[in-house]
Amino acid sequence: MKQSSGVSSCLPVSAKMSKAKKVLDEARETQNRELDLVDKSVSSFEELPGLFNMLNITRITLSHNKISIVPPGIANLSNLEILTLANNQIQELPVSLSSMPKLRILNVSINRISSLPRGFGAFPALEILDLSYNNLNEKNLPGNFFMIETLRALYLGDNDFEFLPPEVKNLKNLEILGLRDNDLLDIPREIGELTRLRELHIQNNRLTVLPPEVANLDLLGSKSVMKMEENPWVTPIMEQYLLGISHVLDYIKTDTYKVLYNRHMHAGRSGPPPPKVDKSKKASRNWA
Amino acid sequence: MTLFCQLIENQRVTQHMSLETMSCTRCGDGFEPHEKIVNSNGELWHTQCFVCAQCFRPFQDGVYYEFEGRKYCERDFHVLFAPCCNKCGEFVIGRVIKAMAANWHPQCFRCQMCAKELADCGFIRNQNRALCHECNAKVKEVGMGKYMCNKCHGMIDDAPLRFRGEVYHGYHFNCTACGVELDSTAREVKSRPGFAANDMNELYCLRCHDKMGIPICGACRRPIEERVVTALGKHWHVEHFVCAKCEKPFLGHRHYEKRGLAYCETHYHQLFGNLCFVCNQVISGDVFTALNKAWCVHHFACSVCDTKMTQKSKFYEYDEKPVCKKCYERFPGELRRRLRTAHENTMKKTA
Repeated sequence: MKQSSGVSSCLPVSAKMSKAKKVLDEARETQNRELDLVDKSVSSFEELPGLFNMLNITRITLSHNKISIVPPGIANLSNLEILTLANNQIQELPVSLSSMPKLRILNVSINRISSLPRGFGAFPALEILDLSYNNLNEKNLPGNFFMIETLRALYLGDNDFEFLPPEVKNLKNLEILGLRDNDLLDIPREIGELTRLRELHIQNNRLTVLPPEVANLDLLGSKSVMKMEENPWVTPIMEQYLLGISHVLDYIKTDTYKVLYNRHMHAGRSGPPPPKVDKSKKASRNWA
Repeated sequence: MTLFCQLIENQRVTQHMSLETMSCTRCGDGFEPHEKIVNSNGELWHTQCFVCAQCFRPFQDGVYYEFEGRKYCERDFHVLFAPCCNKCGEFVIGRVIKAMAANWHPQCFRCQMCAKELADCGFIRNQNRALCHECNAKVKEVGMGKYMCNKCHGMIDDAPLRFRGEVYHGYHFNCTACGVELDSTAREVKSRPGFAANDMNELYCLRCHDKMGIPICGACRRPIEERVVTALGKHWHVEHFVCAKCEKPFLGHRHYEKRGLAYCETHYHQLFGNLCFVCNQVISGDVFTALNKAWCVHHFACSVCDTKMTQKSKFYEYDEKPVCKKCYERFPGELRRRLRTAHENTMKKTA
């Protein structure tokens, strides 16, 4: 890997650097506060000299590049509001990101992140966090992850969650929770406390039951989305699902279902859990 | 326990009785000629024998207290025999009130609600409190959800009339304007606006009150004496005109009306929707609506590369976010295949 990257950045480096550098120079000249560096074959922030001194920048978009390391110095950009690093090769994020005073939107989807640093939940202003298509699960989240009270949307689709920590209830302002294509076996009852939630994506998981508290949420409004297909639901839920989401939400409100749910949760799982989907082909798994 | 306390102030020292027949009440010995003799209620004493039975010191100012034939100085008498008041902690001399398993000065034993002295009018024990009859009745009525009329002290069976901070039977009052007998619907009016005290207030029947043109708050149904807010075809107290969602008063800030209700800016847009998904600000100009969300003109963009899109742009849906064609094509092939399958499945289902 070292060798091949050495070769690929041997000759074209100057041309590549000038391309990205040109964007920076232009931005400095025109006082542009937004940097578009999409698909510029950037593999390191070192190819963006002086970037961390451009303190007036409010948005950086570096999607479709080959970045593997995000240096802590990026937190120097105290006016940055939007940071998009989608489709790179990032394995770790610096904890300093979570101290950026104005960062509102962080998109690190389609990367190779396998854990988040301790203290990562300290963001003072983060509203949208997109961690889709990485290698995250409940065990490699930092303790304060669910303390980002300002969060409106949390995208965790295409990851490896088996359980959603009940602390999710602390995200009081959460409107969108994306958990598509994980390995979820359970959804905690506490999800019913997310009173502002209006999008819940739990399709393609290993869920068999839904906590009755899900019915407390406003998931049927004109601006609401509830996606729950491709789960091994228990028969009564499956029957209602075939009639429509509203039937599911009506059904899980009933006392009949509450008894069934409690019995199901007390009895524990009978037999092995449904198998996980093979994810070895995921781009986020490409280590070497 | 009753204590007999006698205060003797005027002992006399006598010298003109026959010395042979006289003896000291305490030690029994006679008296020397010219010796000073204490005479207290006919009993004679050597001056050195006329002392407190407890501390053997002479009585200060000649004042002593007697109990079971013995004489005590004031201090020792209190220490030995006098009860302590449960309220002030001082000795109780004279009349002792024994009640609530304690001793009290008559002036210390009072109703725990209205502080009236209870010594002579009797009291009622209510939840370990000593209450006068009136307060006990009040407590009982409140317990039953009823009020006691502040005028006749009778129970109010129907709705009470509130006037100057108290509750009354309506029929004790007449309308200030027309004189008709009132009921609980009567209106209390500040006859001298600006006065904080309510003792200037007057009562009017509903008819007369309506003629006076005083606006009624749409929330609390009470007259509005100060600033009037007019909105939604009604009048409101400033502090009662509130957001239907968060119930915070607008206090002059802009409000939004929808289906007969008023909302603050934040909740109006949160409920009825025109907050931009990206900047979370109210959209004032054109609105892009897609995927159950709204965007302002500046922020309708591909969620992966942040490239601005227009109404005509074609985009893919990824977790209910817009993704431009260019970005979608750069998604991992494995992901695109799964998304395509999922899409086809939902298409099949709806078909």
